Amino acid sequence: MAALVLDADEAAIEADPGRVALHQELPGADQRSFRDQGPAMMTYRELARMSLLEPLETMFPVLKSLLEGADSWSDCVQGFLDARLVRSGHYRDIAPAFLGWLAATRWGQVRWPFLLELAHAELLEVLVARFPDSARPEDLHVNPGPEDLVVLDPATQVVSYTHAVHHSSLEAPIPEARPAHLLAFRDEEGEVRLMELTPATSALLVQAQTRPLAEAAAVLNVPDLVPVLSLLHDLRCDGAIAGFRSTQ
Amino acid sequence: MVQEKFTGVGLGLRRPHLERVAQMEAHGVPFWETCPENIIGDGGLHHRMASAILDRDPVLTHGLTLSVGGFDPWDEDYLRDLGEFLLRTGTPWHSEHLCFTSVDGSCLHELLPLPFTREAVRHTITRVRDLQSRLPVPLLLENISYYAELGAAEMDEADFITAVLEGADAGWLLDVNNVYVNALNFGFDPKEWLSAMPLYRVAQLHIAGHKSFGDLTVDTHGADVIDPVIDLMQWTLARLGRPVPVLLERDNHIPEFDELLAERARIQRAYEAALELSEVHHA
Repeated sequence: MAALVLDADEAAIEADPGRVALHQELPGADQRSFRDQGPAMMTYRELARMSLLEPLETMFPVLKSLLEGADSWSDCVQGFLDARLVRSGHYRDIAPAFLGWLAATRWGQVRWPFLLELAHAELLEVLVARFPDSARPEDLHVNPGPEDLVVLDPATQVVSYTHAVHHSSLEAPIPEARPAHLLAFRDEEGEVRLMELTPATSALLVQAQTRPLAEAAAVLNVPDLVPVLSLLHDLRCDGAIAGFRSTQ
Repeated sequence: MVQEKFTGVGLGLRRPHLERVAQMEAHGVPFWETCPENIIGDGGLHHRMASAILDRDPVLTHGLTLSVGGFDPWDEDYLRDLGEFLLRTGTPWHSEHLCFTSVDGSCLHELLPLPFTREAVRHTITRVRDLQSRLPVPLLLENISYYAELGAAEMDEADFITAVLEGADAGWLLDVNNVYVNALNFGFDPKEWLSAMPLYRVAQLHIAGHKSFGDLTVDTHGADVIDPVIDLMQWTLARLGRPVPVLLERDNHIPEFDELLAERARIQRAYEAALELSEVHHA
């Protein structure tokens, strides 16, 4: 049944659905049944493919626009279906599985080096919005100090792209080739907010999760810690940072 | 099996309506039906709103992807989470479709019909009994709409469903729209079909809209319920002679909440009329 629904060669399946039963080594009576109900079998193919492809079309409209413009969207999604990677019963997991397939196979990324980043940027807000709820870490304080570590909210993501994919649109899907650093987080209301960061701030947010702020700032040649502490305080108030953990 | 608070016509808890429903103290909906796959493991604002509603209002749960008649092993982690979720909601039962949805580990996210064979009956009974033993509440099985028989049938759909329900000693979530759609597609009388079924096993009904595409009618859950399907619901309720809960399904072309409330009220009136008539007949 998976072959009937997912395999690429629709023309061959439409011509003889009985061959699907034959290839699955089903008995002759079953092969005849598949053959006799050809149009109905194709209905299942259409329904199931619609179920699997709809979340991709919904979640990746710019990517779809880009690839449709090059007559490649069908090839892309068929490659994903061929990989049989939709294993979760959670419908919301289909789009992340597609993103994982793009990352693993690097499909299309010779021609479109920004393709994976574009797909990631399209899904980023959803990933942050629906990140599983969990208890906030304990033993944190609210005002940052030079010897503190930064503890992000579990849903927060700091991402760096080589292209400005967050500005891609249906009308202009090809992004500018410049680095972009983003902070995506849920505010206190639970709404997703996206903030573009400077390279230094982005690096500091990553570094300061594992080494004290003052040390991270020194490594990154950030001369003045005062504005950094002020920014981090604001980000905690906004919900991006869960708090600060003392290293002393 | 039917519990007092679960009567009348309920609604599926849909994402576009969460904010509105969460803010309403008196919405008039007697219960919500929710799909655990959409709640378990989710997070964020909408998840919090859904959870608050499920903690506040009566809830029935309805699964999509356990693949009851399939061959893939259960996802043990999911079954554990599902059990905890069912207990948390206080649902009196959990329903699933009498179908398969997964093949060789691939979840197709489509309700695929089981072959109407003795072997499939045996296999499905074994699976359902096993599933029943792992869940903290009784399991109901729902008859699906189907568009083709997968493989050479040894019995018809009615005998297949009856054999599984009886063999597994499972309750029945009777989807009257699915019966109606199948009757259109395969050319039988839905009331005659239902008359031969084990209606005493029915614990809940589903009702929904459908759409025809040429010769084929598809259970889309994307339109208002047509009068013949409401009539079939009323006929069924009269036969049952008891107020089982009815769930109005709407998963596509989801209207504004007020519009859906009006549709629910229309079906609620038909529900009450059927039960009043049934009481008169039984008096």
